[in-house]
Amino acid sequence: MESRMRKVILTLVFCVAAFCQVLFVSVAAAQEFGQLIHQKDSLYHRIFVYRLGPVVTLQFGRRAAAGMQSQINLSNLRRHMLEYTGLAFCGLLYKPQPQKMLVLGLGGGVIPREMRHYLPALEIDVVEIDPEVPTIAGQFFSFREGDKLKVHIADGRMFIKKQLNRDPVPKYDLVILDAFNSDYIPFHLMTKEFLEQVKGVLAEDGVVIANVFYSNRLFDAELKTFLAAFGRCQVFLGTYSTNAMLVAPGPAAQSLTVKEAVDRAMVLQRQHRFAFDMLTVAKRLQPNIHPYPSVKVLTDDRAPVNWLRTQKRNKSPYEVP
Amino acid sequence: MGHQSSKKPKVANGHKLHAVEIVLIACVCGWFVMELEILGVRVLAPYFGSAVYVVTGSVIGVFLLSLSAGYMLGGWLSRKANSQRILGINLMVAGAWLCAMPFFVEPVCDGIFNAGLGEKWGSLLSALILFGTPTLLLGTVSPTAVRWLTTQASDSGLNTGLVLAFSTVASFVGCVVTAFYFVLLSLRHTICTSGAALIALGIMILLQAVVQSRRGKFHKASGV
Repeated sequence: MESRMRKVILTLVFCVAAFCQVLFVSVAAAQEFGQLIHQKDSLYHRIFVYRLGPVVTLQFGRRAAAGMQSQINLSNLRRHMLEYTGLAFCGLLYKPQPQKMLVLGLGGGVIPREMRHYLPALEIDVVEIDPEVPTIAGQFFSFREGDKLKVHIADGRMFIKKQLNRDPVPKYDLVILDAFNSDYIPFHLMTKEFLEQVKGVLAEDGVVIANVFYSNRLFDAELKTFLAAFGRCQVFLGTYSTNAMLVAPGPAAQSLTVKEAVDRAMVLQRQHRFAFDMLTVAKRLQPNIHPYPSVKVLTDDRAPVNWLRTQKRNKSPYEVP
Repeated sequence: MGHQSSKKPKVANGHKLHAVEIVLIACVCGWFVMELEILGVRVLAPYFGSAVYVVTGSVIGVFLLSLSAGYMLGGWLSRKANSQRILGINLMVAGAWLCAMPFFVEPVCDGIFNAGLGEKWGSLLSALILFGTPTLLLGTVSPTAVRWLTTQASDSGLNTGLVLAFSTVASFVGCVVTAFYFVLLSLRHTICTSGAALIALGIMILLQAVVQSRRGKFHKASGV
């Protein structure tokens, strides 16, 4: 009898402790992004949606380090709440009138939604591995699929391989690689072999853009891998975030100087009347960034991406080693 | 060999190894099974992605299936008089398979993918072709080890527990070391080195069996 009581009490204590833990974590998160309005366990993530006034935030996992996947302002959808979604437009500097775009990684769907807003004729394929993410993007982030904007539920690399097997192989003018979050990175979407496959679906004058973080060594490794796969790579660095865009122009596309980028940005700005400043994006082009010599190219054989991500860079990215 | 020379003649026990050696062999194989399983995900990801089907369905599923077949086969082989030689050969074949694997991963996976099988059945079939055989062969070790350790029926449970406990702890260590540290190394080199280690272990076991049986025959012939 007594032991039974003890069991009951222990179970109760455990439940209360677990509840407090959940409460504590929710409250801590709530302070930052507002109220938790939706939560969903998918095959790949624990998805959280927070709302603070008009600002809706998408997060995978609770940890603060997991960072934000997407953030939008419902009262002004044109406003880029996170720096990288604006920086992702840098591809237009190389290919001002793209016909077809491929985006790996949907998140809240800000990049494809905004691209479609400014370029309604653009055909967009988005590839997302998690089947729950498009539903949530639609429910909370004003993301809508359409005739020209399609979401494919697949692994990014598998999708590209299937495209390569099609006849004729579809060619994209812009390819945006954004299938990473700051917490976990699928290695097979960063290797030289993968980039070679991406090259296969890239138009001659198209560009590949990868969203990366320059706060750790993975940045150097990825830059080096881009250089190995494409022969050249230009870097746009964020100012108030550690996001960076690696841009690899296709064989027939031109590398830009900062001046050329700014000139093209002015033309684009007049043409599309972006709600953000395209000039600022163009000025983020940093021509003098080189990877550290000691980092190795990422290959299918060796790509310790999640380890590299934990290795902080001890020099500012502006320095040339 | 200490423990077995004490009582009873070793009828059909088929080995000339010390108990510690037997448990160590089981441990080494436990390590390699889990190492291979974790590397398996890395092997398949470039060809079939990292969707949940590939990791949990194909890789883990194939390992469980192959291990169960290996247990069955190992149990049957453990009754053979020359079970030590067989085990040595099994480990050598498993090792050779691993050494050769990096060279046939690409044709196998690309072939299956191009045949129209995707991330579910394609990755399952690839995992079966690539990892089925070595895992099955490594699975034969535990039942054989139990048989070698057991000299009387009343000890069989104890010996089974011993072998399973030690080899599973080794699996755990193999798992952690592979996931935390081997990820920094070349996949190809890790698999080839593991294969070489298995071949070496197999050769040692086989040689020991051959030498011991020669010596036995010599003793018999010379009437010692």
